Amino acid sequence: MCQVPLRSLAYLPGVKDWFGLVARVVTGGVWILAGALKFPDPAASVRAVRAYELLPESIVPTVGHLLPVVEVVIGASLVVGLLTRPVAVVSTLLFLAFVVGIASAWARGLSIDCGCFGGGGYDADATEKYPGEIIRDLGLALLSLWLVVRPSSRFALDRALFDEGKRERHEQAVR
Amino acid sequence: MSKQSADRSRAARAAALLEEQRRREARRRTTVVVGIAAVLVALVVAGYVALSGRDTTGAAASTPSGMSDGYGVLVGDDAAPTTLTFYEDPQCPVCAGFESEVGDDVADAVSAGDVKVEYRVVSFLDHASENDYSSRAANALMVVQDAAGAEAFAELHRILNENQPAEGTAGPDDEQLIAWAVEAGADEAEARVGIESGAFDQFVENATDQMSKDGVNSTPTVFVDGQQAEGDPVAAVRGALG
Repeated sequence: MCQVPLRSLAYLPGVKDWFGLVARVVTGGVWILAGALKFPDPAASVRAVRAYELLPESIVPTVGHLLPVVEVVIGASLVVGLLTRPVAVVSTLLFLAFVVGIASAWARGLSIDCGCFGGGGYDADATEKYPGEIIRDLGLALLSLWLVVRPSSRFALDRALFDEGKRERHEQAVR
Repeated sequence: MSKQSADRSRAARAAALLEEQRRREARRRTTVVVGIAAVLVALVVAGYVALSGRDTTGAAASTPSGMSDGYGVLVGDDAAPTTLTFYEDPQCPVCAGFESEVGDDVADAVSAGDVKVEYRVVSFLDHASENDYSSRAANALMVVQDAAGAEAFAELHRILNENQPAEGTAGPDDEQLIAWAVEAGADEAEARVGIESGAFDQFVENATDQMSKDGVNSTPTVFVDGQQAEGDPVAAVRGALG
């Protein structure tokens, strides 16, 4: 009897690289969307940060103005696959920070729109939305973590930039 | 030299070459990584400067005359025993609903000298309007307060709530706001200049930022004698009116 080992699929060369591409496009796309939607109204971004009541007022405006930009830059480099591993580290930490922020707002009984994609401030239905938002951000954190552990993926600029030397050495060693 | 040692030295040379190549590659890699990282950081800095430059919150603003402490317009007798504070955005549908529920009763209680109302006009709903109605209407309210005082303000406030545009549509234009300002009691020339120039736009922006600093994240929010009312604003006002 011939049985194909179930695990073999994961070891097919390339499957993990394709999964890496999916992880990059999904997390990067979410970051770009989340950041870009906050660009038109920087004051609203500051108020959304303030509504969490977590950060000292002295840094609230800076964080409010910085977050949308960082989100777009992280998203863009993930989508094109530039410095995938270090950027994925930042992405993972940021998603986890948002999970903590939302969970803490929930625990303190705050009823605020997470402000994840612009907006922010009070939301009457906030408590019903918190679990979904936390699960979404945890999922995105896991996808980012995958890229930290295994940054190699299809159609990544990193390959064009960094694999050339490896290939040359490999060819020479074979010769 | 024996053949063996010749082989060995050739192998050593090849190894040295390979090692040298590996080192060169590592250097190139470091240069590229640092370069890209520098570009990414530069992009973040440039974006941050652009974004914080567009946020004028806290910039110097001209203040309408006759404002109460902070950003409130005080309607009613200063000696009234109870103070209600309302945070409202002119484009906020729940605010219009709130006003249609309690507006008349509040006006009666103000006339009777039982309460005074401090209106905190804020604007964060321009994104729900095709022509920035929220900020234009908020500015118009401040223009009327400045030109004709609190009673005229209260009248324009009533008119605006009764004619609030639906979210996502184009609200009344400046001409209409000027006409209503005049109807409420403001001089036309003053109203026109103030409304067309957005004389108190920055003041309203600062008021909106102060709202957020006051821990208020939605409109309408009601304070009774300085205490934020939890839950239904209509019930809070009914409770305060007794």
